[in-house]
This record gives sequence, structure tokens and C-alpha cells, in this order.
Amino acid sequence: MEHARHVFRIVLVVVVMLTVVLLARGFLVPKTYGMYGPYRFANVAEQRNARTPLYAGAAACAECHADEAAKRAAGAHKTVNCEVCHAPLGAHVKADGSVVAPPIDRSFTLCARCHRKLAGRPARFPQVDLDQHVNAPVEGKVCLQCHDPHSPKP
Amino acid sequence: MSDCHDGCDSSRRDFISFTMRLTGGAVVMVAGASALGSSEAPKPEGEAYDWNEHLWAYLVDTTKCIGCGSCVRACKAENDVPEGFFRTWIERYVVGMEDSHVDSPNGGMDGFAPVQVGFVATKSFFVPKICNHCRATPCTQVCPVGASYRTKDGVVLVDTDSCIGCGYCVQACPYGSRFIHPATHTASKCTWCYHRITKGLKPACVTVCPTQARQFGDLKKEGDPVRVAIEHERVQILQGHLLTEPQCYYTHLDKEVR
Amino acid sequence: MPEITGFAFPNDIHVTWSLMIVMYPYITGFVAGSFIVTSLYHLFDRQEFKPVARLAMATSFAFLLVASLPLQLHLGQPQRGPYVIITPNPTSAMAGFGILYSFYLLVLVLELWFVWRPEIIDRARRSRGFARVFYSTLALRTYDLSPEALEVDHKAIKILAGIGLPAACMLHGYVGFIFGAIKANPWWSTPLMPVIFLLSAAVSGIALLILLYQVFARIDGRPVVATCVSALASWLWFFLILTITLEQLELIVMAYEKSESWIIISQLLTTRLAFSYVTMQMIVGGLIPLILLAVVVLMNRYLHDKVRNTLATVAALLCLLQVFAMRWNIVIGGQLLSKSLRGLRSPFEPEIFGREGVLMAIALFVAPFVILWIFDRVLGIEEPGGGVADGHGPPAVPTAGEPAGSHAP
Repeated sequence: MEHARHVFRIVLVVVVMLTVVLLARGFLVPKTYGMYGPYRFANVAEQRNARTPLYAGAAACAECHADEAAKRAAGAHKTVNCEVCHAPLGAHVKADGSVVAPPIDRSFTLCARCHRKLAGRPARFPQVDLDQHVNAPVEGKVCLQCHDPHSPKP
Repeated sequence: MSDCHDGCDSSRRDFISFTMRLTGGAVVMVAGASALGSSEAPKPEGEAYDWNEHLWAYLVDTTKCIGCGSCVRACKAENDVPEGFFRTWIERYVVGMEDSHVDSPNGGMDGFAPVQVGFVATKSFFVPKICNHCRATPCTQVCPVGASYRTKDGVVLVDTDSCIGCGYCVQACPYGSRFIHPATHTASKCTWCYHRITKGLKPACVTVCPTQARQFGDLKKEGDPVRVAIEHERVQILQGHLLTEPQCYYTHLDKEVR
Repeated sequence: MPEITGFAFPNDIHVTWSLMIVMYPYITGFVAGSFIVTSLYHLFDRQEFKPVARLAMATSFAFLLVASLPLQLHLGQPQRGPYVIITPNPTSAMAGFGILYSFYLLVLVLELWFVWRPEIIDRARRSRGFARVFYSTLALRTYDLSPEALEVDHKAIKILAGIGLPAACMLHGYVGFIFGAIKANPWWSTPLMPVIFLLSAAVSGIALLILLYQVFARIDGRPVVATCVSALASWLWFFLILTITLEQLELIVMAYEKSESWIIISQLLTTRLAFSYVTMQMIVGGLIPLILLAVVVLMNRYLHDKVRNTLATVAALLCLLQVFAMRWNIVIGGQLLSKSLRGLRSPFEPEIFGREGVLMAIALFVAPFVILWIFDRVLGIEEPGGGVADGHGPPAVPTAGEPAGSHAP
């Protein structure tokens, strides 16, 4: 014991350091950590409110655009959400209720993205072989010249 | 050699033992206090959403997907997904008896162009991919700081204020669903649009899918179509041999899909 | 943008774990390997390692101080690094880093303190001013160097070496576990990974010490003890055989079982990793040192000292390259293949400058040698006068004329 004085001293130093670390840790652990698992529970509520939803679904559009909605519901595009071709609701109606006119895409690309004939598409899905649609090749031509987008089946 | 007498030694011994007892007591108190402190539960403040009432699940019918990419675009707009990274994507499979070809140009965001393959293709289809929100997920298991976790209603989320950006979860995910966000340098992935589903909406990808290939449902709700399909029809999951228990189910999945 | 052959999941094309994550196991490998050598003397009393035991301990310490830097440099949010200690997830192997690193650091610092105590006290007595304050604080103001005290020290060193050896092995083994436990990546997922990592750590540590021993001996003007070099070479050969056997066994089993991942892995090895795996890891770093060391060990009796030293040194250098190549092939190689098992991305080219660049890696490798040099200046690596072992006999420096206060509390 007499000659182990230095051992006691170093052990004391180690114990003091460990105490300081544990004390510090006690203050630094977030309050909601560990409530339901090894994570910060407060984050769940934060994620719920992380952002305002942008897309709303076709029903929301029908509130103001009843005519187009009715036409769509009676036609071949009845399962296609308005926001697929148009902008999401959040880009059109702002949080304060003001309305911004969204750009309307009338290009060939928009229609071709779904309706170009592709090997992977289900056979019963309406696809167009763009080299021979009706009478002539239609690649690049605007489909809207012949088709009403809200009720496209001729 | 000490030239102190016994008196000095025992007083020093007393001092040391007193200090150690004091320190030991302090350590126990602090450890106990911090354990108590972290179990105090702040109650959710008057929110209408109770996570105990829901258990979310996702269902994909690959025979309906047309590869239009609307889901990828909608997800990007809804969640501000950075360029070159994907929270959801579409894969196209062109399969023949001898060979198969898979591609996903820009995740399928701009749709697909026709492709030529060097073999005789007998079938072709599109497969939407997404975070599977696995029940026994390796990504939450390996997160060193508990930033990645699974909620009671079955959604795997990332706490971006706790994430240290180590990338371990990205390596652990067998489905390639995760990435490190180039701006925040934290892990990021599909959240099943948690900010939407907790308000009664569906995820953005499900809302815009024009053929209803993607469906979202609640396993705790009676008569929910997704629940009925999973319970009664034949469904598949991705990489089932890894036992991650994915909650994203597929119908009509081909053997080529991994 | 990287080039992809085949099909890779769209998020899979980025290499998240870069050069820093290659450096980290390389550095902790030196920590563990050096500690194994010093434990061979301090714990297992193998006298042939006595000339290199203190150097090995100091080397382990120097590399340990640098070991956490590659991780900090790699983190996306480095200021949150301490979260690993504050809110560690008990199921995560990576969270183990905080505990294992701190624990091993504590054990090693304590063992260093006991081994170097005679030198610290000696320098405390011989210096003045600020240096004296520094050394006497380091000595915790006890100056007891009696045979009984040194016997206490000797016991403490043995206990600490006994705790430190598994701690050092855990500190490096858990890194292997981090890779081996990822079922998502077939190149990484194997129970052998912690074992392979640890064995190649021993290879790197012993190889480094073969080099450092000769360098420091030359600087100090001491002779290079032949039995020490041949002992180091024998153990290096032994660990190298084990490492290469296990690494190849893994590959052979994978190829034989032809599991789903074998097609893409064989493509990975023959295309993207052809140079770093086949050329560097297997041939230049594996086969050649194996032969050189076989000569050193089997023909030990017939070799001139200079020849033995040269062969051992060349083999050691090649082993250092092998271990680096192995880390690179595992860390980077595993990320070149996509989880789709259908695609590979183009080889990873690390940036030169920047937080995770080549220059930083070189700086991290050089830093421990700088620390060793400082250590030598502050405490002296070898004992002055070349040679009584710590704790086995009377102190090297006479205790006449100690200044007042050396016995006081």
C-alpha cells in the first residue's frame, strides 16, 4: 500500500474524468430521446409538419372546375388525376388563398410520355404507334388538334 | 520513501476514500437523473393524428404500371428531391429466355424511350421501386446515433437534426432506397409522404398514378383494399431471403426483379 | 458522373465511403498490430521482443491519437460526431466506436504511464521551470521508484496489457464487423470479416515495427538485434499466411457455391479491381512477401544479419502495401457493385485536395510519425543507457540528491 500511492492517484484521476463525462452526457441527451425507442420522439411531430402538401387529388380540383371534372369523369381519362398533366394544387392556389395561373402543357411530349407504344406497357392500355396513327405519322405533332384532353377518346 | 508517520497515511487514505464515495454517489445520481429525465413524455399537443390507430402498407401492381414517370416527378416536386437522387424510381425490364435487360434512365422521371436489345425479348414490364419501410429493417439497426427509426404506424424516418451523415444506413439498405442529400449532408429517403398521410392524404406518388398501379392503405382499417389484397391475394416482396419484412408488397412480380 | 456497366439502382452510383474510410481501418490496424507486439513482451514475456516493446507501445499510442480523425473528416455533419457517445444506438456496431476507442485509449495511456514512470520522474527531477511543472504533474507528484513500487508497476503493466490486448483487438475487430454484418452487400457480408481484418491488422503492425525498429535504432545509434528481427519476421510470416489463407478461402467458397452474387463479384474482381486485388493484394503484396519471409524464417541460421534485415524490410514494405490494398478493395470495391447485382460503376478516383482527398490521407499517415518524434523528445522512447527493463530491476538513474518535496504529499 505504501508504495502503491501513485496507483491510487491515477485511479482517482480516471474516476474524476469519468464523472465529468457522465455529468456532461446527462445534460446533452435530448429530452425526448428514448421514449419509444432509440430515437428522438419529438422528430415524429416535426416530420408530420415538415412541409405543406403540394398535391391534392382530383376531388380538390372539382371544387372550382366542376365542368372539366364532369367531362373527365365521363371520359377515358377518369382515372387520371388532373395534377398529372397540370401543376399540383400547391403551385396553383397559395396558402393565403390567392390563385396563380399555372402553365398548361399542351405539347406532344406530355401525351407521348404515357401513350407512345412501348414494349413494357400492358397490352390493353391505349398506346399509339406513332408512325401510323390514323392516317399519317404523328411524331411531334400536337395531339390536342384532334383529342380533347379531358375526354380524349374519339 | 515516505517520511510521514501513520497519521499522515491514514488521513490521506480517508481523504481518498471520502472523495471516491462522493464521486460514486454523484455518478449514480447523475446517471439516474438523466435516465429519469429522458423518460418524461411530452404529450402530443392536441393533434388529431394518433399513430396507434394506423399501420401503413403499400401495394404495387406491376401489370398496371405504364412507365410514365408521373410518380417520380410528383415525388420530386412534393419533397424537393435533389437532382440525380431518387426517393422513388421506375425500372424497365426486357426479358428473353437467354438474357435480360434492365434500365432506369434518370429514374424514369422523363418516361422511357423505346430500346433495342441484342436478344429475342419475350416479355417486358415496368416495376416501380420505393423505400420498403421494412419491419425488420437493417437501416435503423445500424444507425449509430438513432437518427433513423421506425414509427409506431410503420414508417421509417430520418431525423435530419440528429443524423451525422456517416452513410452506414445507405450501405445497409439492400434496395438502394437511401442516399446522402448533397446539400444537407444527411441521409434522405422516401418517407411515404409522412406529412401527407398523417393528414388523411395519400403519398404524392399514389395520388398521381394514372393507372392506380400504386396503392396505399392502412392495415388496421377494416375493409381497406390494400389490406384485403395482402391478406387474400398472392403477393410478393423484394429480396425476401434477407428477412427484412418489407411493407411494400407487389403483385405479379417476375423472378427477374431484385 | 460515373459510368455504369449493366444496371445499377439509381441511388447506388455514388461512393459514400471514400478514402477516409479506407484510411480508418488502416490506421486502427497499426494500433492493434503494434499493441499485439508489445503485449508479446509485456504480457507473454517473450524476451526476443524486448528491444522493440517500448517502441511498439509508443507507435500504438501515436496511431491511436490520429485514429478518430478520418472518421471526423468523413462525416456529413462532423460537428455532430460526439452524438455517437451522447445517444449511441445499442444495435449499431458503429456506435461501439465511442466506447471502444475511449476504453482502449484509457488502458493504453495508463499502461504508458506505468512503463514510462521512471523516465517521467527522472525528467521531473532534472528539469527546471515550466518543463519541471509539466513532468511533475505528469508524475502526479509521486516520485517513488523503490523496488517495491516498481514491482507494483510491473503488476499493473501486466494487468493493463491483459485488458488492453482484447481491447485493441475489439477496436479493430469491430471495424470488420461493421462490414461483415451488412447482409445487403454480398462482397462484405461474411462472418470471416472481423477475423480477416484483425489478422491483417497484425500483419500491418508487425511490418511497420520491422521498419520503425531499424529506423529508430539507426537514429539512436543502437545495434539492430538479430533475434528481434527474426522473431518479428516469423510472426509476420505466420500472420500473413493466416490472412492470405482466409482471404482466399472466402473467394474459393464463393466461387464454388456460385451464389447469386458470384457473377457480379467475379466481374468486379476481373475488371474494376484487377490491379488492386490480383496484382497488388495477391501477388505483389501476398505471394512475394510470403516467399521472402519463408527464406528469412526457414533459412534463419544461414543468413547474414544484413541479408536478413534487407529481406525482412522489403517483405515488410510489401505487406504494408498489401494491407492498404486489402482495405481499398473491401471498402471501395464493395461500393463499386450495385445492390441490383446487375451493374458495376467506374472505378473510384479520390480527389486530391479536399477533406477526403489524397493529400489528407498522406497527412494522416505521416502525422503519427510526427507524434512519435515528439514523444521521443518529450519522454524518450527507449530507456536512457540502453537497457534495463521496466519493473524488473533498480531504476536506471541514481536517486541521489533529489530535490525537496519529492516525498511530500
